[in-house]
Amino acid sequence: MTPLQDATPKPPQYPADLEASMVLPKQRASPASSLASLPYRRSNPSLQKLFESTASISGSRPSSGTATPTASVVPSSVFSQASTQNGTGTPGSLPPGVSDEHRNLIQRAFVPHVAVLADEATEAMLRGKGLEGGLLQLLRPFGELVPGKVTIRDSIGASKSHEDFGIRFVGVRDGLVPPTSAGRNSELRMDTVTGQGAGGRISSGVPRPQRTGGHVRQIEELVDRHLQYSEFNTHDMVPDYLNHKEAPSQSDTSSSPFHTLYLRRLLSGLPVVSHETFAHPVACVIAVSSRHPNPTEEIRKLYALQHDGALRMPQFVENDYLRYYVLVHDEETGDIAHSNQTFESMKRHFGFHCHLLRLKSQQCIPSDDDSVRLPICEWMSAAEELAEIQKRETTDDISDPTPYLPDSDITAIRTFVRELVVQSVVPNMERKVATWNEQVLARRRGLSGRFMSLSKRWTPFGSSRNSSSPTVGSSSNYDSIQEFYRPDAPEALMRKLADYCFMLRDFKLALSTYDILRTDFNNDKAWRHYAGAVEMAALSALLSTSPLSSKTRTENIDSWIEAAVYSYTDRQLKPTPYYALRTLALGLELLRLRGSSAADDAARWASRILETGIVGPVGHALFTERISTCYSIRTGIGSMNLGARRRKAAFWSVLAAETWLRLSKALQAERCLDTALRLYNFNTENASGAVKLPFPQMQAFIDDLRQQILGLRLEIRGFEEGDEGEGDAVQQSLMVEEATETLDKSPRAHRKSLIGAPPPPIDVGPLSPMLERGEGRRDDQFE
Amino acid sequence: MSYTFTILSPHDTPLFTHTFGTSRSSGTGTPAFTTADLALNPFIIHSALDIVEEVQWGPSSTSGSAPMYLKHIDKYQNNFISCWITGGNVRFLLLTRPRDEALGISAANPSSGSASSIYSTGSGAGSVRGSLAGGRAGLGGGAGMYNPTSPATEEAVKNFFVDVYESWVKTIMNPFFAVGHGDVVKSPVFRARVQAAAKKYL
Repeated sequence: MTPLQDATPKPPQYPADLEASMVLPKQRASPASSLASLPYRRSNPSLQKLFESTASISGSRPSSGTATPTASVVPSSVFSQASTQNGTGTPGSLPPGVSDEHRNLIQRAFVPHVAVLADEATEAMLRGKGLEGGLLQLLRPFGELVPGKVTIRDSIGASKSHEDFGIRFVGVRDGLVPPTSAGRNSELRMDTVTGQGAGGRISSGVPRPQRTGGHVRQIEELVDRHLQYSEFNTHDMVPDYLNHKEAPSQSDTSSSPFHTLYLRRLLSGLPVVSHETFAHPVACVIAVSSRHPNPTEEIRKLYALQHDGALRMPQFVENDYLRYYVLVHDEETGDIAHSNQTFESMKRHFGFHCHLLRLKSQQCIPSDDDSVRLPICEWMSAAEELAEIQKRETTDDISDPTPYLPDSDITAIRTFVRELVVQSVVPNMERKVATWNEQVLARRRGLSGRFMSLSKRWTPFGSSRNSSSPTVGSSSNYDSIQEFYRPDAPEALMRKLADYCFMLRDFKLALSTYDILRTDFNNDKAWRHYAGAVEMAALSALLSTSPLSSKTRTENIDSWIEAAVYSYTDRQLKPTPYYALRTLALGLELLRLRGSSAADDAARWASRILETGIVGPVGHALFTERISTCYSIRTGIGSMNLGARRRKAAFWSVLAAETWLRLSKALQAERCLDTALRLYNFNTENASGAVKLPFPQMQAFIDDLRQQILGLRLEIRGFEEGDEGEGDAVQQSLMVEEATETLDKSPRAHRKSLIGAPPPPIDVGPLSPMLERGEGRRDDQFE
Repeated sequence: MSYTFTILSPHDTPLFTHTFGTSRSSGTGTPAFTTADLALNPFIIHSALDIVEEVQWGPSSTSGSAPMYLKHIDKYQNNFISCWITGGNVRFLLLTRPRDEALGISAANPSSGSASSIYSTGSGAGSVRGSLAGGRAGLGGGAGMYNPTSPATEEAVKNFFVDVYESWVKTIMNPFFAVGHGDVVKSPVFRARVQAAAKKYL
């Protein structure tokens, strides 16, 4: 073997090796072959900004053990951090359950949805400001984090303040999936690409599926884009090398930023479905411009349109949610006295839930004095972000298309959002929770409620039921043909109650409600609803701060997760693997935070993800990596570290490195391999520095892997040195449009054409994750 | 059914490794591992040591004496690991890889990945009709699923381990064999005995 393959004890040695091997003439053998189909990638600064900002939001803070949520947008690029090798660090120094990153992520994913509906004049004014998406585009980024603390009273009257509360502004008909296809048809996909920037939401009754998440394939593709970007843009290792030296061996409990991105996109744009109410609107903002001659009348019109007109939500969504009326005042052309007057009359008409939003109508340019860039949405769906990336990749425009806003606008919007949340949305939800708790849940829980639920199963109690509650019919409330409960059925109300509690972070009440619902849905054989209730029961049990005995954990939560996954996938005609994946991924993250003994379970669920094949290749690699971090969080006892899982963690890291290599992601592979070596090294505790693996075969395998990674990196660099073809971007976009939505197990055909170098035949089958080693690449690149 | 048997020192150094196939039911005794499998096996065995340690120092399943035979302890995908631990903290690990039919996976199924290329040996896997360790006993259920905790499997593995343990004790009693220094076992007699035990029981 060549000296290249000396197992490196420290990552910094690595770039040096790379440089040394660069002089070998054979490595530049044929960049042209890989060049041909590689996407055109580097030259567009606005694109770069998009990648940077999205991924840096997605939380790769190198800090260890911070429990604060990531509110600030770190301006530095994530990809420089991605290549630093502090993936998991030494598990010995890692206090279990210290990084709350994923917990916060999950809490911030399930938040109240607020629909936005604006009249034509408002939309026109905002389009004039450069906001093609109108009011929704303007409000969306600001709803994600409500400034200041939000105090929420839970069901027992205790107040709790949350710094990171947010709401999600959505379009009126966002998140709706066509019921026939469960959101996996290809037209949807075409719409995603072509439906960019069509303004005037109000007139178009067609759903805009672009903002709907829940497509595992799209998430995969998006993360793959980010990964490719990082591969092709961090070829220059020197700054990372320096950075890395400054912060050596810092244990980083957070996962790779790509995994966080994956999770975030998994939880973005929750579809509006009947078995959970998270995406059902809690409130609706109806905005009218002050330019309109008769704003009150216009509001009535919009209300009617949305309440029972063309923009009505589907039947299973409760329609009588809060409406919030906004008068948009134009600071530059409008007359404030007149607007105030209108606003007063609005208040008289519609009551308390009104706001006067004062905006400037003129377009703002970056060079203006107090202009602020419109923040990028953290929680956009994968399809939306893909479309955005694509738009910027194909466009020739160098300038950043993100609109800029004057400072005063930003302040006005922030005030508006805070007022909306603190004074209207949250109190309204609290009130509803209290009402339902008293009227529905207490009755169900009490003696008569038990009889009621019994009477549904046993006819002898039929007589007592009729006297106790008139709302429950003799049969169940479940409409098994359309698969939903009517929104006023007690089950639907209880589900809503539980979801509200979950969104308001009252996990105790949520858990007990989900628990009741679980049995009800089970009796009704409403499997998807059952799965939803069980999933959320498991999540709320894991999210609640109370300590969890290992007995409850193994008895309840494990069986709940199991039941949820089974019911989501196998128990129904139209399986919903997206939800199964969500259950497993969230369950594993939360279990992992539960400390060492739960980490085994977390790893088990992660391998379940891999076995069931509900993720594509990127997800496969990410979750393989995740298993490693799950194991590595488990620390041992005593000087011998008994009960630790370092060998397992290292093993899975090696597997992850191998998987990444097969996906031609050299940086990721390298990071995993370094993690693995660090874990193995810690295990053997030798002072000499060099990692010595116990088995010679293992050593050979790792050396081989290392060499292949080097080869791959050189290949990528070889591409960088060549000239870039313009036509590739077009070709790429065409290719993406063709992509079908099917969730088949090996969507490898596209990948193969995306990445230039012919990847070795890959299999994701659970049987053999490893590939035959010693692929042809070695022969023509090395030795 | 393919096996990898490894003896590991207390410091995780492999002292002896033997890879073989089943000899039961017209098995030829040749393993049906692919090169990829063979590369992976050391990793699997090594990672199972974590579980070995946990079982070893954890609460004893039998009252009174701690057992030497720890039975089936770990599993990676379709590879099952059984363990025997000696008084000197030397670990015997047996990795069992049942043939695909015993797992309910048809070998012709292309979704099982490289399965098509695995069984180029032909006689290795396809014609093997169950071995005592799992195969025949498991077939009683009708499904033919391999079950690592079925009594017959455990018994067969145990018998194998007992035989190997006897040979092992005789080997380390050799005054010229420095067992404490992690000496690799090179004795052809020992290997032959392991082979015999494997042929007899697995």
